[in-house]
Amino acid sequence: MFGKGLLQGLGITFKRMVGPNITEFYPEEKPNLPIRVRSSMGLEKDKCISCNMCAMACPNSVIKLTSEKNEANKKVLKTYHMDVGRCLFCGMCAEVCPTKALKVTQEFENAIYEPEDMQWDMIKRAERKGKVE
Amino acid sequence: METLKYLMETLNNLFLIIAEFIRGLFADPHSVWANLTMNVINFIIVVIIVVLAALILILLERKVAGWTSQRPGPNRLGPRGWFQTIADALKLMGKEDVTPAGADKFIFKIAPMIIFCLPMMTLAVIPYGRGMAPIDIDLGIFYFVAISSISTLCFLMAGWGSNNKYSLLGGMRAVAQMISYEIPLLFSLLGVVMITQSFNLGVIVEAQDTIPFIVLQPIAFVIFMIAGLAELNRAPFDLVEADQEVVAGPFTEYTGLRWGLFFLGEYGNMTAMSALAATVFLGGWQGPGFLPGYVWFFMKVGVMIFIMMWVRWTFPRIRIDHLMHLAWKVLLPLSIVNILLTGLGIYIYRFVMGG
Amino acid sequence: MSIDKTQELVLNMGPQHPSMHGLFRMVVHLEGETVTHIDPKLGYLHRGMEKLAESRTYSQFIPYTDRLDYLASPHNNWAYVQAVEKLMGVEIPERAEYLRIIFGELARIASHQVCIASTALDMAGWSAWSYAFRDRERICDMYEMTAGSRLTVNIMRIGGMSAEPPEEFWPALQSFLDDTPEMLEEYYGIFFGNEIAMGRLKNVGILTKEMAENLSITGPVLRASGVDFDVRKAEPYSIYDRFDFKVPVRTGCDSYDRTIIRMDEIVESIKIIKQAVRDIPGGPIMAKVPKVIKPPVGEVYHRVENPKGELGFYIVSDGTTKPSRLRIRPATFINLQMLPIVAKGWKIQDVVAIFATLDAVLGEVDK
Repeated sequence: MFGKGLLQGLGITFKRMVGPNITEFYPEEKPNLPIRVRSSMGLEKDKCISCNMCAMACPNSVIKLTSEKNEANKKVLKTYHMDVGRCLFCGMCAEVCPTKALKVTQEFENAIYEPEDMQWDMIKRAERKGKVE
Repeated sequence: METLKYLMETLNNLFLIIAEFIRGLFADPHSVWANLTMNVINFIIVVIIVVLAALILILLERKVAGWTSQRPGPNRLGPRGWFQTIADALKLMGKEDVTPAGADKFIFKIAPMIIFCLPMMTLAVIPYGRGMAPIDIDLGIFYFVAISSISTLCFLMAGWGSNNKYSLLGGMRAVAQMISYEIPLLFSLLGVVMITQSFNLGVIVEAQDTIPFIVLQPIAFVIFMIAGLAELNRAPFDLVEADQEVVAGPFTEYTGLRWGLFFLGEYGNMTAMSALAATVFLGGWQGPGFLPGYVWFFMKVGVMIFIMMWVRWTFPRIRIDHLMHLAWKVLLPLSIVNILLTGLGIYIYRFVMGG
Repeated sequence: MSIDKTQELVLNMGPQHPSMHGLFRMVVHLEGETVTHIDPKLGYLHRGMEKLAESRTYSQFIPYTDRLDYLASPHNNWAYVQAVEKLMGVEIPERAEYLRIIFGELARIASHQVCIASTALDMAGWSAWSYAFRDRERICDMYEMTAGSRLTVNIMRIGGMSAEPPEEFWPALQSFLDDTPEMLEEYYGIFFGNEIAMGRLKNVGILTKEMAENLSITGPVLRASGVDFDVRKAEPYSIYDRFDFKVPVRTGCDSYDRTIIRMDEIVESIKIIKQAVRDIPGGPIMAKVPKVIKPPVGEVYHRVENPKGELGFYIVSDGTTKPSRLRIRPATFINLQMLPIVAKGWKIQDVVAIFATLDAVLGEVDK
């Protein structure tokens, strides 16, 4: 009969109307993201051996790091910069890191006002307050 | 018990009592000045109804849209988002009023004003309660349909005046659609007019004290609903402002408050059409005596509006040729058959009753 | 100007238009509401993927393939990594193959859900749109917990998979599979069974079998025209020959069949995933591949069945770490060429619907 489908559709929407909501109330309730979510990068300076693997794995040459040799002739990280404006957040850098010094973090509120803020100094970033581990 | 009945009676006639009081302030309660004052007051009340209805309905529309897709709808401003419309209106007022360079300026500017006037004119003849029609005229239905069909012209004016191809397409669609659907709309009302022998909306409501006309005229009610939706350019007949095809139709070039007037006009027209449906088919202010008549009336209007919104957020948009087929090949013959059946029914009724 | 004929109206739809998926632009010539000619204009999202590949190493290009058909990114990963594996002659572990099948078919379901949703949306079926997207979110959640991203998942590597699914993945997958019949019933009830939607889609935009074959259309669009061709069956890649599934074919050749065939494909994908979950072996998920990937000199073409059609990668290697030349055969770019031919003579509303049924993703069209 013509009109059966129409009534069926009305029935479905009515069922959904009286049913529960599925909205996540984002700013009030922060989502609990899985541990693997690649929302931003976190660096543990002490673990880094300055092997440059991350910079080599990066498709967009986002990562620039410099190191210096200490008295024990071991490489120590001096600067670590990420140009996040070019970052794909593919996580390849964290994947190749042999010491797991570079990790993906679930800090997703990365909106900024100035384009210059997209140059992340990873060492400074690791030290700032309220960091999500 | 007696006091309760008296209280009910007072509540029912509250507005009439107030009106009598205001008239009584004049030396001659039926002088020209008293009539003029009453007309001004009635006009202001109708404007308030239109604006309030638009304010509530815009929020309700968004709430219904949210509920059907399992969202809470607007919930930021005020308790449960009830101030959302006010914020939207303020935002619209703050926007720049752009008139396109190639536009026909006079037509472009006057179209939203006219469309905003129409619901006020149509809502003025609706009886909100016993004897509570702001203007009680004998050709009520006739006047209502005549005025509401002017909105076609507004859409065409907006579409043509904007000097935009999308607007023009939308305007042309509006004309084709609204003129086609006016005929089944009128014919569906004709059955009720035949039963009551009157065009007066007050008389029609009085005639429904035992049984609402939806029971006697179910086909006419369905036809009225469909044609009314098409008249209002509501989904699934919203070809005029179909955003997936013609961006926003005639409203594409409008900004700020001019666009807001179109919006208000749309919701005002929706209220007016629901009010007509409630008056003609659902028994208007008639209802069980535990609530005042005007409360019953607005409840019925609310139910009609809710059905319209529910339909909008469920159905996909109909195609333009199907739209025309529906009007001319389905609804029009059906409404004519309905008139025929009504006439036969009246004849048999008279024959049986010996009238 | 003669008055007995309507003046032709040239309407520019897109790149900014509510119904254009992504940045597609078409110049539509109208006579009244009837379309007489369509001129598609492409390239608003051109990023030079093929050239970018020449300056990236083989592994570095994998995240870029996500951005081709971003609604089914595992498939793009899959096609690319398999092409490279074919070139290098790498055998990947069983478990990785099964995981690839699971994620590939999940991506197919997600992509088809978006297609159904956007077709409904282009016809103003708002609720149908939100329900399909609501269900797609669950697949996105599964991507997220495994690979760490919802859209551009970057889940496959040359030689295997990037990560083992976590504990909570398997119950989530199982509950999704259990709920799918109900979901499909809901889509049918609200959209496909709706008389208005049927009127909009049935017998509209006829793409006959001959036309489809001549235009080298692939994917569900081809199968809705009655051609039984699916790369998964015709040239089984990965381990598709081990699974028992049908290739849904419909003979309506119209917009309705082009859309509803995706419902049939979801049912088949569910079947494949169920078999894969049942049979999945344990073991490693990465083959032993060298850290620096250096395929031998040579060339390879590999194709897979993307949700939208046949997706192929042609790679020329000169023995270095970077491809010498990489060419992508996108499915929807080639499917899109039917639009001006099929849409001619229909109303402007039908053009929008026909375009939606093609399920074009402009990331793939413009590369």
